[in-house]
Amino acid sequence: MKRSIGVVLALLLGAAVVVAVVLGNGGGGPAVVRGVIGSEKKPFFDDPRVRAAFEKHGLRVEVETAGSRQIATEVELDGYAFAFPSSLPAAEKIKKERGVSQVFSPFYSPMAVATFRPIADVLAKAGLVRDSGHGYQVLDLAEYLKLAAQGTRWDELPGNTAYPARKRVLLTTTDVRTSNSAAMYLAMTSYVANGDDVVTTAAQVPKVAETVAPVFLDQGYSQSSTEAPFEDYLVMGSGKTPMVMAYEAQYLSRLFSGDGSITPDMRLLYPAPTVLSKHTLVPFTEEAVRVGRLLTEDPALRSLAARHGFRTADPGAFADLAAEHRAPVARDLVDVVEPPAYDRLEQLITTIERLYADGTVPQAGGGS
Amino acid sequence: MSAPRGAARRGARGAVRRAGARGAALRAAIGSLLVLLPALGLAACSADGTVADGPDVLRVLAGSEVKDLEPLLARSGVKVKISYTGTLDGAEQVAGGGADGRYDAVWFSSNRYLSLIDGAAARLSTETKVMSSPVLLGLRTAKAAELGWADGKATWKQIAAAARDGRFTFGMANPASSNSGFSALVGVAAALSDAGEALDTARVASVTPELKEFFSAQKLTSGSSGWLAETYTRQGGVDGLVNYESVLLGIKDLTLVYPSDGVVTADYPLTLLASAPAEKKELYGRLAAWLRTPDVQREIMASTHRRPGIPEVRPGPEFGSAPLLELPFPNRRAAADALVTAYLDEVRTPAHALFVLDVSGSMKGERIEALRQALVTLTGADRSPSGTFSRFRSREHVTMVPFSGGPHEPRAFSLPERGPGPVLEEIRAYAGELQASGGTAIYDGLRAAYTESLRGDPGHYTSVVLMTDGENTDGSSFEDFERLYRMLPEARRPRTFVVLFGESDAEEMNRVAELTGGAVFDARDGSLASAFKEIRGYQ
Repeated sequence: MKRSIGVVLALLLGAAVVVAVVLGNGGGGPAVVRGVIGSEKKPFFDDPRVRAAFEKHGLRVEVETAGSRQIATEVELDGYAFAFPSSLPAAEKIKKERGVSQVFSPFYSPMAVATFRPIADVLAKAGLVRDSGHGYQVLDLAEYLKLAAQGTRWDELPGNTAYPARKRVLLTTTDVRTSNSAAMYLAMTSYVANGDDVVTTAAQVPKVAETVAPVFLDQGYSQSSTEAPFEDYLVMGSGKTPMVMAYEAQYLSRLFSGDGSITPDMRLLYPAPTVLSKHTLVPFTEEAVRVGRLLTEDPALRSLAARHGFRTADPGAFADLAAEHRAPVARDLVDVVEPPAYDRLEQLITTIERLYADGTVPQAGGGS
Repeated sequence: MSAPRGAARRGARGAVRRAGARGAALRAAIGSLLVLLPALGLAACSADGTVADGPDVLRVLAGSEVKDLEPLLARSGVKVKISYTGTLDGAEQVAGGGADGRYDAVWFSSNRYLSLIDGAAARLSTETKVMSSPVLLGLRTAKAAELGWADGKATWKQIAAAARDGRFTFGMANPASSNSGFSALVGVAAALSDAGEALDTARVASVTPELKEFFSAQKLTSGSSGWLAETYTRQGGVDGLVNYESVLLGIKDLTLVYPSDGVVTADYPLTLLASAPAEKKELYGRLAAWLRTPDVQREIMASTHRRPGIPEVRPGPEFGSAPLLELPFPNRRAAADALVTAYLDEVRTPAHALFVLDVSGSMKGERIEALRQALVTLTGADRSPSGTFSRFRSREHVTMVPFSGGPHEPRAFSLPERGPGPVLEEIRAYAGELQASGGTAIYDGLRAAYTESLRGDPGHYTSVVLMTDGENTDGSSFEDFERLYRMLPEARRPRTFVVLFGESDAEEMNRVAELTGGAVFDARDGSLASAFKEIRGYQ
């Protein structure tokens, strides 16, 4: 089920519809288009350059954030001109429910892990992190799941003097019940737990959900939107967030901006396998269609998307920026898996959700 | 919930205004503003310059912890109308939809407990973290040195051992009414349980004996982190405080202990309500962006001792260089509630609460009924979590001292360790039988309560509530009470928390609170039940 990035790219390009001239709105101020989006795209929409690019076309885009699953299931969408969740499955659901004919996937981002050099070193010693040989580091998800299942704590890792915390070795994620990045993490972990195969049948769900549930539940309270734990990582450091599941774009956008928030001690890892998060805009109004089209086709907006760390239909801009900032990015990710279909993913999530409610969580076996 | 809250709010605003009108001389003499601080917990608006509602006004429901940022907000360019509420009350209000339509945003020291309540997540929209502050132990510098922690390094386990051995005492806000207390409880429990993952109910039960040892050193409690700091600064009485780092840094002669086994940190998310209309959402966006500009962040850090919320501004040297390990927070409401319940019923020093109750003739009618209701509320009639947490708890002693022209026969109730139902029922029946008639001998009533308190168990945390609706007309005077009070051994001088009601003599009641180190709560135009509920945090 693994696919090369080239295939995925072709699909993305196929989704971009090549049409027509966009007309500015005649006279008066810009038309306000209000959308609900995954939190990780808020810095992009708040960027004055992005706002200016939209204003050129007579649009002012105002956004509010919510978890992608919330956008797909809970948020009252009537007040918005578009929804822009961070994954294709969530967008497909909204598209179907609202009877929308056309969606836009202007950019995508692989899931990545942001961590710190001393922690990456400790994990390398423990056999979880390895060098890809292509200028970036890889986190072995199967090894990680094994370690997590044993209930291993940081101070139990061999030779770990750098981060001797009593806490469990657990990736920080968002709440899988609300947020897309955690759902993407579930897509990855469920693939591993299902014997390196995408969960496709309902029969596979209970066992897989039970296997992966502890890596969500044992974290304790997790935040509902992706920008929050990543900000904790940047602001509060390894004490709170030794390693966080994030979109590659979140890390790269900070790196490309040169604002100093990515310190020399920070590291970007690619989980193996990883999944691609395809940010997909579902328009409910004509003006929102224009927003989707501009994001997909407007060269200025595309280049700004790359500056915000997203991969677009124009890989050159992204590659140039990565080279300029010596970013340890994976140009050609090979270990990419498809997320389960919306309904299967939803079943996995609701099974874990039930474990939250019952409190009858399978505890990590063995270990300490 | 909403009606009493609104009523109490009006009352508290009145109190603040009166306090201001008394003038600087009196304020300096008796510190009445400090005494009135807890009433601000009920208050909705700033004393003066109250912002009227309008389409260009962002209405924010906030915890009293962010009150120190109000002057700063005035310069944001966005008109902000802030209403203050208790953390738990606020969480219930938001989760139940009570905040929808009345407010556009909420701003508590943390959204964690709120997010655990069913239905809350869908009511919240964009969250903007503004700043952060961990909950730590601050100790008198000499005491910290004596315990070997002059460098600020100790673990919660070491702190708990010193507490068990009686080597220091501390004050902490009540976990059921204050986020700082709740965060501290979660942190201490997580660290002492030595669990690598979040606490669940089973883990809460198994760590309870260790929590008991730790909290045996708690000799001061409070409904708010602000009052706790004021009381410590003015009266001492304990060796230190468990409180936000930001509060502790504002107190002189304290050594901050940064537990290396972890802390729980408040992150102050300014949070848009999903129900807010479009124009208010825009105001929210502007305010949130302004708060996160580097200059404002630096100002927040300098003036409030909170850590910055954006990576572009690095924390100053005052915060130390030790990396702070964040402990996992429970992800189920049952675990959080079990922890607070264990604290109240098993862990904390049990309370002895004495209620000095005005049943004079002027209390006839609605007022005596309000008093009956307020007491019944504390027997568990209020089924909300905040109501459940504020009811009379296991092991607690409750003494009712009604008075009119003189003190009536006191009545003592003792709640057993398990199965408090029958005793709560007795209190309910007792409250229902209170009748109003006769004069008002406030100080004879108080004297009777203080005499009763001497007969009580010295191992209990003793405090007095004085509720009166008028001036003293019979028996002894304030001066008589003052003499009696000063004759008591220092270890047996309970604080008196006064509830103003009806035509209370606010000034003299302030003196009672001031003398005894208590506080004043204003229910004159508001709900007696809300005031009683709030006072529970101080008992």
